[in-house]
Amino acid sequence: MPVIDVVDLSKAFGTKVVLAKVNLQVEEGESLVVLGGSGSGKTVLLRTIMGLLTPDSGQVSIEGKIIAELNREELSNIRKSIGMCFQMAALFDSMTVFENVAFALRRHTKMTEAEVAARVDECLSMVGMKDTDKLKPAELSGGMKRRVGFARAIALKPKILLFDEPTTGLDPVMTDVIGRIILDLKQELGVTSITITHDLKSAFMIADRIALLFQGECLACETPEVFKVNPNPVIQQFLRGDAEGPFLQDPPAPKRKAKEASA
Amino acid sequence: MVLDFFDKVGTGVLKGVDTTGDFAVLAGRTFVAIFARPFDGKNLLRQFQAVGVNSLPVVLLTSLAVSMVFAVQLAFGFKQFQAEGLASQVEGLAVMRELAPVITGLMLAGRVGSAMAAELGTMQVTEQIDALECLATDPIHYLFVPRLLASMLMVPLLTLISVYIGFWGGYLILVGVEGQSAVVFSSEFYKLLAFRDLRIALYKALVFGMIIALVGCWKGYRTQGGAEGVGNAPTSSVVTSSLWILVSDFFLTKLLLV
Repeated sequence: MPVIDVVDLSKAFGTKVVLAKVNLQVEEGESLVVLGGSGSGKTVLLRTIMGLLTPDSGQVSIEGKIIAELNREELSNIRKSIGMCFQMAALFDSMTVFENVAFALRRHTKMTEAEVAARVDECLSMVGMKDTDKLKPAELSGGMKRRVGFARAIALKPKILLFDEPTTGLDPVMTDVIGRIILDLKQELGVTSITITHDLKSAFMIADRIALLFQGECLACETPEVFKVNPNPVIQQFLRGDAEGPFLQDPPAPKRKAKEASA
Repeated sequence: MVLDFFDKVGTGVLKGVDTTGDFAVLAGRTFVAIFARPFDGKNLLRQFQAVGVNSLPVVLLTSLAVSMVFAVQLAFGFKQFQAEGLASQVEGLAVMRELAPVITGLMLAGRVGSAMAAELGTMQVTEQIDALECLATDPIHYLFVPRLLASMLMVPLLTLISVYIGFWGGYLILVGVEGQSAVVFSSEFYKLLAFRDLRIALYKALVFGMIIALVGCWKGYRTQGGAEGVGNAPTSSVVTSSLWILVSDFFLTKLLLV
């Protein structure tokens, strides 16, 4: 039985269909990377898996439990086993780094303050953020915030990790650092994970399987090697990063070339 | 044309019902969540400070100013028919029953309710409230409950302080300026008051505290649309809670004076 089972999931906002009968299964310990253009429904998919959004039709199951059918307490228990890393980290800005990472430990465990401090230190070390515990989120760079967000997500030792565009807006070096941290977390913790990203380099680094969302549908979900040679023109255009092709319905005309041709 | 009119009226009615229902559900969930665990004492103490201690200066100054102005008006009015002695009695009645709870409520709606709306609004648009949910924490329990409890306790306490300051505001004008006897003023101020009047003031303050916290949190929690939404939330919170305070004051007065 897959740990995460997305079956015929559909979600629309008004008349805009964001997800249309998406099917995805993630096995225990597997790392799935979901690719897709902006507005293709990747974040909506993650938010539906976390139970932050309710599907219009279809369902999401975590370890056999259908998320939309759980009451608040059951959902809360499921969430304790999932770590969610937000695109912009979503750290609590009124708290220090330490308090952010310790938040779930203090609320959901009976650990003493010394045990909490040791666990926070361990989590911050895993993401290379040791000795930043007294800083406030406003004092951190974008990459540091993401890493503290990772530390907060892993504090309760979750079985599942969800990463929402963890490298967006970061420089190439920090993108690589984040990719390595995700890979390390996967290997050290043995978690099942879904990572949403635009970054192909880190996608191929961390993925056991890669899926591509296009116009609300899942075009492919296969190993990186197979994905690379998938003949689908949308996938090939996405991998090449070309403006020309079926990926964009109305790409802006290349003005410079047009001017040169007319001259 | 006619259909358009009915369409607009219908849409407005549906929106109104939807908004009222949303507020009622969140308010109900907040009262239920009061008894949920874990109990976060530190968070509650922070709110006691934000709602109560930090509001002291503004409540002191406004209570003093309003009670002084009211005493000036009373002294002038009663002087017209040589009944200056009644001014201190009416001052006492007005301060206890109306001025202290309403002024405290309105000032806290502006100072505390708007801050709650802005804080929760910012948390909403920066996904911090979603992060709370993902960390298996009910935002209603973590954010609404301490603010509601702090307001329900602190607004009545501040109202009592406002009554005390109101006494000295009246004293400054009626004794200091109008030349009434200090002993007479001190006994006359409380002459028309009964325990029922203190109870009315505290009941009103309790209800105003609930309005301030619930409206402030609700407006912040439902913030949408980035910076513009965060900017609108406090304004909307202050207008809504001030309106509700004044309207509920009328109904509470009618109800409690029976």
